[in-house]
Amino acid sequence: MEKRIIFPAGEEEILSLAKGDRILISGRIFCGRDAVLPRIADMIRDGSIDSAPFSLEGGLIFHTAVSRAGVGPTSSNKYEIESTMEVLSEGGIRMHLGKGALKAETARALARNHAVYAVIPPVTALLNSKTISRKAVAFPELGMEALYELEVEDYPAVIAIANGESIYGEV
Amino acid sequence: MEKFDKEAMIERIAETLVKAGSTFSEDKMAAYDRAVCQETSPLSEWAMQAIRENARVAKRDASPLCDDTGIPHVILEAGKNRVVSGQMLEAVYEGIAEGLRRLPGRPMAIMGDDAERISQSGGLNPDSEAVVPAPFMIRLSEDDDRLRLCVLMQGGGPEIRARTYRVFHRHSMDVVIEEIIAWASEVVGQLGCSPCTIAVGVGRSHYEASSLMLQAMEEGNYDRQSAYEKRITEALNQSGVGALGLGGKTSVLGTFLKVGPQRASGVRIVCMRPCCCFEPRRWSVDL
Repeated sequence: MEKRIIFPAGEEEILSLAKGDRILISGRIFCGRDAVLPRIADMIRDGSIDSAPFSLEGGLIFHTAVSRAGVGPTSSNKYEIESTMEVLSEGGIRMHLGKGALKAETARALARNHAVYAVIPPVTALLNSKTISRKAVAFPELGMEALYELEVEDYPAVIAIANGESIYGEV
Repeated sequence: MEKFDKEAMIERIAETLVKAGSTFSEDKMAAYDRAVCQETSPLSEWAMQAIRENARVAKRDASPLCDDTGIPHVILEAGKNRVVSGQMLEAVYEGIAEGLRRLPGRPMAIMGDDAERISQSGGLNPDSEAVVPAPFMIRLSEDDDRLRLCVLMQGGGPEIRARTYRVFHRHSMDVVIEEIIAWASEVVGQLGCSPCTIAVGVGRSHYEASSLMLQAMEEGNYDRQSAYEKRITEALNQSGVGALGLGGKTSVLGTFLKVGPQRASGVRIVCMRPCCCFEPRRWSVDL
């Protein structure tokens, strides 16, 4: 039985999740990958995120490009993605959504910041049928690798890392 | 000179590309059906059910199976009674471009000079059809009257983890098979998009091994697996990686192995590509 979560989500709801939980994701989510996530992390570090026209609080970042072909997870263990998860969590992101195993130190950093990591099958056709709207909200010059906001309904995913515990074991 | 209807050919090639990017072959769907029935990990079973559902939606909507729609690779097979002209090759390029517009393909062509394309600093071309196909592979068909074109869409993740390298065979097929298993064992878990299909070509040069690997992707069939193919699949399924790395019995769906001519030498050149859960994305048309 899946848990239905609507984003932005409350911290309590995120903390109730455990590794292996199957979830359905709805609401407004962010999409970004290698090119844009380090820039968002820099905005958190220098404080310029406070004047951004979007809020990361209670948010989800889906590690994907957004093109006319649709969306689908890229490997979350790419350096530019995994290395930014801690600071993005400090900035308010509560769920990181992608694919592939992450390091134990990343799992610990997520736990410290009350954030979790979920994996989503690369089911682009299915996800397209569950995507209601999409718009670029930052760094549009990056094209399909800009920061996007999507409104979605019932994206299927499974919690891979929660409370410092990973379904992949120690990596 | 063999006459052909250029517009009709462009249309058929465009349709073929869309099919390649959006449709599972019957043997692939059947392989997933078997894997779902046999899987004991609930999460792996869930992931493979989602992959099957995705295939149904993609086929219904003629839309991409994966947002990495891949780089088009074309294999042309011509019998001795058929003529392949420059005009025909031009129509193939135009058909591929039209297919990418329709699918639609991910606009991922990098613009600029050599250094800008390497460093990805020249900007992205916004047009799907700017993704040009890889150089075509052409071979003689055993059927004198056949002119068949196959389109394969090659995603980026498997290219990161593929390997083409020499193997000192020590006069044993077992040595080569075990080396293939060792290479694949390192990368099946890293791919993320498992269950994989392991495509292998064994030849005399790096070019030939890669070509044979591509031919293996074109011709391989999940319902007809050789003893060596089964051995590779079964060995890799001992890893417990499972679908999407979620654990389970199904890390690899099948293996497609193509062994070409070999040279009198102690070395074999092996190309191994761990194809993702949607690959081979392939479709063929008789022209």
